[in-house]
Amino acid sequence: MRWLRYVIGLIIALTLHSLLERFFPNALAFFNPYLILVVYYSMGGNLLGAILAGVVAGLVQDAYSGAIFGLHAFSLTFVAYIVASVNSRVVLRGPIAFGGALIGSVVINEVVIYILVNILMKQKIGMFEQSLLLKTAMTSVFGILVYQLLSLFLRDEPIEAMRKRAAY
Amino acid sequence: MQVAVERRPTLIFLLVLAALFILMSRSTETRVLGETRTLFERTVMTVFSPVPKLVNTVGQSFEDAYHGYLDMRAAIEDNRRLHRDVAQLTRDNLILRRSHGDVARLRSLLSYSEQFSTPTVLADVIMLDTASRFKSIILNRGSDAGVEVNDPVMNAQGLIGRVVLTTRDLSKVQLIIDQNASVGTLLERTRRQGVVRGNGSGGVQMYYVPSLSDVQPGDMIATAGIDGIFPRGVPVGTVVRASEGKDLFKTIYVTPGVDFGSLEEVIILHTEKIPPEIVRYTP
Repeated sequence: MRWLRYVIGLIIALTLHSLLERFFPNALAFFNPYLILVVYYSMGGNLLGAILAGVVAGLVQDAYSGAIFGLHAFSLTFVAYIVASVNSRVVLRGPIAFGGALIGSVVINEVVIYILVNILMKQKIGMFEQSLLLKTAMTSVFGILVYQLLSLFLRDEPIEAMRKRAAY
Repeated sequence: MQVAVERRPTLIFLLVLAALFILMSRSTETRVLGETRTLFERTVMTVFSPVPKLVNTVGQSFEDAYHGYLDMRAAIEDNRRLHRDVAQLTRDNLILRRSHGDVARLRSLLSYSEQFSTPTVLADVIMLDTASRFKSIILNRGSDAGVEVNDPVMNAQGLIGRVVLTTRDLSKVQLIIDQNASVGTLLERTRRQGVVRGNGSGGVQMYYVPSLSDVQPGDMIATAGIDGIFPRGVPVGTVVRASEGKDLFKTIYVTPGVDFGSLEEVIILHTEKIPPEIVRYTP
């Protein structure tokens, strides 16, 4: 069930990605739907599941964006592992905790990407701080909205539902 | 053993990161070489391609519908504007055509009026009554413009009538087709004189031309200048038929030179009248 949710979530993220690319080409610079999906999934605390979710979501994002192939997969896997590690030790519940996790995740994700681009392409991302600030704010706000909607319609605390079956 | 199991995810995590780093390095190299997509990347794209394709198709349909709607709105707006333009242009065209007609008519009227040495007044016909028993027109010039009773009225086609009544700014003209109007005329070809008068049915006839006179259809009739009202030489009409009358005179049917149904502008000729005492004087 969790994997089915993940696949549906990935398809929605890809749909959103395609829609934004088509109608608002600059919107993806300030908003990352894949990150919301990965953080949401990783808050279940399942490390292996989180790694896989990060890799798959990252590869899809890479395939449909102009970035180096594997860049987002790397950063999302990194984020997913950290979020899952934290959640396997501390129980984080509710939209505020999710928002906090998202804020941290966006920052980590962007910093990882910044470093990787620096290492691999010997380039610096322009206006990094401003972009990071905007991306953090917008992704967090949108992520909390998605979290609330999912809680409302699934009638189940998503993290709790995942935690019951968390392996590690 | 327990520790190894607990560390397994971390190990997998590190291996995955290493694999992804290699993938990225490979991708960076291919980018440098100009190849933008590796086989693995193409495979991932192919697997998930239905989603962007579907989004593209749906988005394209919505975009087409939206642009179609916008185009339709624009077409409707264009259509309305063009209708307004057509109405405006039709109106303008009408005004121009009327002005063009006015110019031609006024030009011929003006050149005609310049022939006369006596003062002339140009006037517009503001009322036309040729259907009733008394054929008359009302002009927009009166005594203030110098118009007097018995002033001849004409246009470029010929004689129209004479002023029978004036106010300060209007004057009434008795047409030559009125049964009570009489004009001293002559046949231009033979110089035979007669009187033209309305026959009561909208036409005119020439009276008092002896039966032995030479009158042919097509003969031009003009004023003779012998009645003390109309000057000599103003065209009156053309003979259409001349037959032997019941008595000593011919019956001559005349087509007036003027089309009384389309009078617009006229010339009022201010002639010098013969004083009444001279007219009435009997030796």
